[in-house]
Amino acid sequence: MRFSDAITRCAGLLAVLLVAVPAAVAQEPEALTVVTWGGAYEAAQKSAVFVPFTKATGIPVEVKRYSGAIGSLRKRAEAESWDVIDMLEADAITGCEDGLLRKLRHDEILGGLDRAVRRDFAPTRLRPCSLPQNVFATVMAYDDRAYPGLKPTRIEDFFDVEEFPGKRAIHRSPDVILEWALMAEGVPAAQVYDLLSTDRGLRLALRRLEALRGHIVWWEDAGAPARLLEKGEVAMASGYNGRFFAAAQDRGAPVSVIWDGRLIGTDVWAVPVTTDRPEAARAFLEFATRPEVMAGLAARIPYGPARKSAMEWIGLHPESGVPMRDHLPNAPQHGARMLVRDSVWYSHTEAIRERRFEAWLEKGGG
Amino acid sequence: MTSPASSGQALVPPGRPGHPAYRAGILTLCAIGVGTLASLAAIGLTEAVFWLNDILLIAPRARVQLDAQGYLVPVATVLVPVLGGLVVGLVLRHLSPVHRPLGPPDVIEAVQFERPLPPLRAGIASTLAAMVSLGAGASVGQYGPMVYLGAMLGGLVRRLRLGVPNLPAISVACGVAAAIATAFNAPIAGLVFAHEVVLRHYSTQSFAPTTVAAATGYVMANVVFERPALFLVRFDGVEHGHEFALFAALGILAAGLAILFMRLILLVSARAAQSRLPALLRPAAAGLALGLAALWLPDVLGIGKETLRFATIPGAFAPGELAVLVIAKLALTALCIGFGFAGGVFSPALLIGILFGALFWTAIDATALVATSGVAVYAICGMMALTSPVIGAPLTTILIVFELTRNYDITIAAMVAVVFSNLVAHRFFGRSLFDVQLARRGTDLSKGRDRARLSALPVSRFCAESPITGETGQDLEDVRARLDRSAWSEAFVTDPQGRFAGVLDRQAAGTTWDEALRAPARRFDETTSVLQAMQALRGFVGDAVPVIDSRNGVLIGVVSEAAVIEAYLDVSAALRREENAVL
Repeated sequence: MRFSDAITRCAGLLAVLLVAVPAAVAQEPEALTVVTWGGAYEAAQKSAVFVPFTKATGIPVEVKRYSGAIGSLRKRAEAESWDVIDMLEADAITGCEDGLLRKLRHDEILGGLDRAVRRDFAPTRLRPCSLPQNVFATVMAYDDRAYPGLKPTRIEDFFDVEEFPGKRAIHRSPDVILEWALMAEGVPAAQVYDLLSTDRGLRLALRRLEALRGHIVWWEDAGAPARLLEKGEVAMASGYNGRFFAAAQDRGAPVSVIWDGRLIGTDVWAVPVTTDRPEAARAFLEFATRPEVMAGLAARIPYGPARKSAMEWIGLHPESGVPMRDHLPNAPQHGARMLVRDSVWYSHTEAIRERRFEAWLEKGGG
Repeated sequence: MTSPASSGQALVPPGRPGHPAYRAGILTLCAIGVGTLASLAAIGLTEAVFWLNDILLIAPRARVQLDAQGYLVPVATVLVPVLGGLVVGLVLRHLSPVHRPLGPPDVIEAVQFERPLPPLRAGIASTLAAMVSLGAGASVGQYGPMVYLGAMLGGLVRRLRLGVPNLPAISVACGVAAAIATAFNAPIAGLVFAHEVVLRHYSTQSFAPTTVAAATGYVMANVVFERPALFLVRFDGVEHGHEFALFAALGILAAGLAILFMRLILLVSARAAQSRLPALLRPAAAGLALGLAALWLPDVLGIGKETLRFATIPGAFAPGELAVLVIAKLALTALCIGFGFAGGVFSPALLIGILFGALFWTAIDATALVATSGVAVYAICGMMALTSPVIGAPLTTILIVFELTRNYDITIAAMVAVVFSNLVAHRFFGRSLFDVQLARRGTDLSKGRDRARLSALPVSRFCAESPITGETGQDLEDVRARLDRSAWSEAFVTDPQGRFAGVLDRQAAGTTWDEALRAPARRFDETTSVLQAMQALRGFVGDAVPVIDSRNGVLIGVVSEAAVIEAYLDVSAALRREENAVL
């Protein structure tokens, strides 16, 4: 650790103490409501972030769950007094533009905002209302029992029910599956969003999806795809790489991940405008975006830390002893074909994609 | 426009070239310097166009994000090309001394006749106009302006007068090679393009620096800026031998379409020049037509890289859609270029060609008579087969396929289509659109460089220094006496106003001017070129030929037979020196 980093960190801790200690002394502190996604991810966050945060500051954390939809932010944030939300970057951009999220003072939270800090976060960006926390991949996985012989290896195989029969579990959303559909048509990753921006591109993607009609099991909860694979209800599934890892590592499920065509997304922290504890929320963000805290999360569930400086802290899984770096979405051995989600585009095209997707669904169900 | 005849620099004496080490050093520095600048300029232009496309709502990726804003996108679709056209008209009118966009033909002309390029200001204005044209979504290409930009930067070297033979042409070629190498991320194609289209010969002296410049462009594009390959295509090889016959057939059909495309551009340009619509408003008028068409067919806007990709995906277009798009893009490109938008023909040719290739495949596939390897290879064959005759560079085209797609099998297939297309188009149209445009301006390169240079060189530049002349106002015997004292056998006589009156032979009888003078056996005028003079001198017996101004009959001078032959030999020697130069 560099000297200046140490100073920064001490100053940060001091700030946290200044906020937290008087509160702790005065009365039993009110819990900070942190909203996240449940399942293996939440469990990892609990041991890597929430518990250490409470230990360091005395502020207890109350966890609430949601399924990531921006609609729940509108409906539930105020009523349930949400303070900090774990969000997809695209949703945070929408929330920010719609005035649902607070503008963040990145320089205060990160103890200064110079080029070195920005570079540490690159290629993720410090956007007005959000602070990147980790990088995840949406990948395909398959049930090893379903394909004892020839195994699927490419995105194309996901759409090929003749060669690789069986149900597919897919997120009931136009996200990801449309990108994959175009990649399966041979479109290079760099052009996927350009093409999906045209009517023709959407049409082609949905045409490709048509090949799966009748073979789809839709999921909404992020934990579902791993469970469906485990129970043998589907043969292939789309889902987050960390969930599949957890199923295979912790429960010994026969689930294999295909990294080809993985979609890299950024997960961020954001604070709703309705929060009544902005100072505590800021203390939480300061804590949660420390490199060693990020690394602690990555050691428990293979989501890459948003800061490069966290990489060196990542070691073995605390329970299974698996070296975690190999399972991160950005590990080099996963192959070249991957696509980084364009969060701004995502946020601004949600309505049109949703409309086309719903129309396609209505045409004849899954 | 300077006509070839008015050039004053066609015969630069070779002078005293510097030490070989000096020349090598200058050529290397020049290649790296010009290569770097041209490459940065090409990247800058590309980025500027992307940025404009984005903020002006031309790029689909920008349009879709504002889809919910009601009429914003449709209004922008029509207004942006119109206003862009207006800006282009204003830029060309007020900033450019030549009042027109510049492009590869100007580069070819300058290099082939060892002349300077048009003024720097004209080049900058043309580049600016191209940036606005492309940014506003005009149906024109970006590579023509890039080639000119590279050439313009290379052309600055001429001003330094470094005393290295052929340096001006070589540095222009370096700029062109680096621009193409960067723009397509294709250094080999850049190098070959500079030779095939611009230099038109392969000497070691020019090959080495051009290669260095192309490599510099490649380094800038790949190592410094990490730009991706432009058009990666997955293709596992041609599955059936008979498909090569189909590629050849596709090449021949594409040649027909290419000829139509080029003729249409020439026709619209000629008609636009005669029309009553002022030049200032012409681009805006083309923009209006384009914008209205784009409301219905958004694929016609801009460079259309999305459309290029779609054409390689089977079923992305219905057959009817393909046919309509081919025709629309062809007509709108001719309109945009003819009506004065600044930009090239290369990118539109790629797009028309790829759509045509896809259409060809769709037709073959629909007959179900022959098996094929899928649409991608036909689309790419069509793309290259249409483009190659337009730019007149088959080898470059083949290499561009290779470097763009990084796919060997596709390159072999495209090669077949390209040569057939080139053959047909060259036979029935000309070597390239550029060459035909030059020929229409009076510079015909179709019979070779030597002929072009000889016919660009006016014979009047080689007039004898002190011929025996006389005037009908003078005494006949005085003139006779002067003639007798000289080595000449003829004197050339004018009337008191300087108009040519006739030839006075040593042996001429007669006591009056009228009796003594005879008409010359041959006469040249101010437009007679060395080439025409050589042909006219066949069977000529005599000392010299008078050069008479065709407009007023004034005697300009007298050219001896020897001087014509010397000029001919000098041009041939200069070309031979250039084409065989080692350093």
